[in-house]
Amino acid sequence: MTKVEAIIQTSKLEAVKEALHDAGVEGMTVLEVRGHGRQKGHTEFYRGREYTVDLIPKIKLELVLPDAIVQKAVQAIVTAARTGKIGDGKIFLSKVDEAIRIRNDERGEGAL
Amino acid sequence: MTTASLSGELRDLYTEESTRIRENFASNGDGRVAVRERTRLVQAIALRLWHEIISPDDAGPAGFALVALGGFGRGWLFPHSDVDILFLHASAETENLYKDHVRRFSQEMWDLHMKVSPATRALTECDRFDATNVEFTISLLDCRYLAGDRSLFDRLHDKLIPKLVMREAQSLVQSLADVTRSRHAKYGDTVFHLEPNVKDGPGGLRDYNVATWLSLISAMDKLRDWPDPKTLFPLSTRKQFDSALDFLMSVRCFLHLRQGRDDNLLLWESQDEAAARKIGTPDADVTDAASWMRIYFGQARAVHRVCTQLLEEIPAAWSSLYRQFQHWRSRLSNADFSVVDGLIFLQQPNALHDPEMLLRLFHFMAMHGLRLSTTTEYRIEQVLPSLAATPPRGAELWLYLGEILVQPHAADALRAMHALKLLTLLLPELKAIDALVVRDFYHRFTVDEHSFVAIDSLHRLKQSQSEWDQRYAEILGELERPEILYLSLLLHDVGKGMSNTNHVDASLDVARSCMDRLDLDPSERESVLFLIANHLEISATLRRDIFDHETVRAFAERMENPERLKMLTLLTYADIKAVNPDALTPWKAENVFQLYIAAFNYLNHSVDERLHADQEDQHLAHIRTLVPTAGKKLKIFLEGLPKRYLTTYSATDVLAHVEMAGRLGADPIQLLLERGRHWFELTLVMHDRPSLFATVTGVLAAWGMNIVKANAFSNQAGTVVDTFYFTDRFRTLELNLQEWERFKRSLIGVLVGETDLDRMLSERLRAEKLGTPKVKVETKIEFDDSCSARSTLVQVIAQDRPGLLHQISSGLSHEKCNIEIALVDTEGQMAIDVFYLTSNGQKLSADHERRIQKRLLESLRAES
Repeated sequence: MTKVEAIIQTSKLEAVKEALHDAGVEGMTVLEVRGHGRQKGHTEFYRGREYTVDLIPKIKLELVLPDAIVQKAVQAIVTAARTGKIGDGKIFLSKVDEAIRIRNDERGEGAL
Repeated sequence: MTTASLSGELRDLYTEESTRIRENFASNGDGRVAVRERTRLVQAIALRLWHEIISPDDAGPAGFALVALGGFGRGWLFPHSDVDILFLHASAETENLYKDHVRRFSQEMWDLHMKVSPATRALTECDRFDATNVEFTISLLDCRYLAGDRSLFDRLHDKLIPKLVMREAQSLVQSLADVTRSRHAKYGDTVFHLEPNVKDGPGGLRDYNVATWLSLISAMDKLRDWPDPKTLFPLSTRKQFDSALDFLMSVRCFLHLRQGRDDNLLLWESQDEAAARKIGTPDADVTDAASWMRIYFGQARAVHRVCTQLLEEIPAAWSSLYRQFQHWRSRLSNADFSVVDGLIFLQQPNALHDPEMLLRLFHFMAMHGLRLSTTTEYRIEQVLPSLAATPPRGAELWLYLGEILVQPHAADALRAMHALKLLTLLLPELKAIDALVVRDFYHRFTVDEHSFVAIDSLHRLKQSQSEWDQRYAEILGELERPEILYLSLLLHDVGKGMSNTNHVDASLDVARSCMDRLDLDPSERESVLFLIANHLEISATLRRDIFDHETVRAFAERMENPERLKMLTLLTYADIKAVNPDALTPWKAENVFQLYIAAFNYLNHSVDERLHADQEDQHLAHIRTLVPTAGKKLKIFLEGLPKRYLTTYSATDVLAHVEMAGRLGADPIQLLLERGRHWFELTLVMHDRPSLFATVTGVLAAWGMNIVKANAFSNQAGTVVDTFYFTDRFRTLELNLQEWERFKRSLIGVLVGETDLDRMLSERLRAEKLGTPKVKVETKIEFDDSCSARSTLVQVIAQDRPGLLHQISSGLSHEKCNIEIALVDTEGQMAIDVFYLTSNGQKLSADHERRIQKRLLESLRAES
């Protein structure tokens, strides 16, 4: 099992969700986050005051997937979230030792 | 009997009887019967155990008694309720003697899977009031003798409890009120949850108990004895309570039996089943879960109303601090209403036959955050039938409703009007969303309550300490007509009560009907319809890249002008916040604000795009339909005006300006002075000339007027349309109608060169001594060459003070600048003035900008 964490642009959430669904992914956790990579902040002046957004709003998706569909899911995210500009986001993969369904104590990939 | 055979026998009895109770409830749905039967069953088991373990004699042993407390004491044991019992001892001696017996007794009940909460106390311990365990003292109010030493129980019931209550009444009531208020706050202080808790939620069974305890403590304090339970409430309240209690008991029994545990949440699946089985309402016309829930809300609302009224009335009788506060509030009494203990009473009970008085009553309530007394509510209910025959409508109703909506406690007044069915009498369109449950994953409240919560969340912005709330509060403070925003919030989801698939379209239809009833003027109607039609627009835009210029441009152009942008931003903020307490995350609040700033800047920095009268434009098309005959005159007037002109003024205003421009040949200075809701408006139409803007601002300053906003536009033919919005600091115009003409003559006199403006200004300055400002605003002057193709933008931020705009515009005039557009605004003590400048028809050079900056800074700093 692999944990996929993807940071994407907020405007790409719907497209990515749809692409993942088409790729056979059934569940995901979506978090509203803020941060920055190479894409730095943004400054606006309003009423004579400066408003700096140094941490840009992003969406973080978290999925734990059976290894067999990880590459397909990653490709789906990349394709749907890419604009080619700085700020498109990143995907991180890490191994997961175990998954447990709390309701019935089911374990392993069956619990996903 | 052996322990094993006793346990077996009781287990069989408990199982068989519990099954019978469940089956009976399934067939008759009568919750009151079910709780009575379970109370009897548990009592029978307790007595059996008493005989077997403690004493074969019902009345023995001496000095030891078994007492039912709480729900068990009231005879209200729901299928999975806790069983509260008290082992009451005369002294420590019996307590030690029966320690093991008590343990075995409790163990046997636990083994039957009853959730027993046993307490062991000596009589003297019951007399001790423990502020950290008020629940125990309160549970004594429901005590009931079960077995053992009767005289010991009588000492507790007849002597100790009345004395304890009289001694500790104030603390008891205060603690009970505190606990109840924090319980209500946990549930958002509203009955109208989509998935309510029928026990602990506002209007639930706990509120019924609180109302009973408060009345009992109050009566016991007066009588020095237990009162007759039938006298605790007036007859009308008792009838309402009985009906509500029957219903709520049946619902709670249903939930316990359905869930198999003490689960009191009325979830959607349970609502479907309860509606199908007509739980608590065997004779009602229930067609679906929504109609059954309306009955639930009706009953819960009645319980909540009485409980909250008692919470106001009874603690006030004891608490000195509370009394002081209420005494302060009683000073609010006037010729129409008296205020006693935070409750509004009528000075002239018959006055309510006048609908105006009725509306003034709710305005008074909305302004001061008071509640209606029971008698006032009764009076209102009495006059409603006659009011229903000829309900108030039209501009007068809108005037009062608008005034109610902008008051700080508007939501509470609206809720009270709604509970009394007055709101739906005035606006029958709202009946469609009365206690309406629309199921979605995020909403917590019914549709009507959602709107009230949204209105309330805007009013609460001012007191909030949160950074985001304060930023939004600033925007709210800048609105020209906040009542438009509040009306839009009241109506934005009303279409959810219609069968249309698109609730926004349905809401627009209903809003039109409401606005016909209220006779709103065309510009107000347009704004309300705009806000409702676009109330999901910001949420949709947040799903785009809000840092992308194109996203901002498209969004800002849809908003058309800053006022609409501000209102829609606030409406979105309030709408999201009213979905549920967690819906407006700081993440979302920041994104909405960022989009607002970007769109606001776009609207202010892209305003000099010029109009061509032949262009396709929805505003132009609308104006043409209003006066198809004005063709040529309209075309000449509009040619070359900034596009923003059309979004700044309503079609009616534009046509008035065209008429004024048409009269310039006969009279070269056209003035229109009007009094608006918040300020005066002076519109000037004439041919442009140097220093015109500075001259007019100078005259206004010389008359002591405070300019809060101004717009200056000019067309290709050099006709200017300048509007100044000002407050009349010395009430010169407000109190003296004849001064209006003198004011206009004085302005004309200056414009034609007959009157000396400098002399007028120096006289004014001599007459006034400026106080020290409360907030110090640093002067800032910024130029922007990039936002316009033909002008240079300068933004001046400075401490607001009389004559400031004249000072700035005179400075610009001395520097040979032509003001193409002026956008003047005031935020508290900060003036924010934006000018689009040209010099000889060109943008300003860098040198010129530096000279202007130097001149303005020197002039403004010298004055501050």
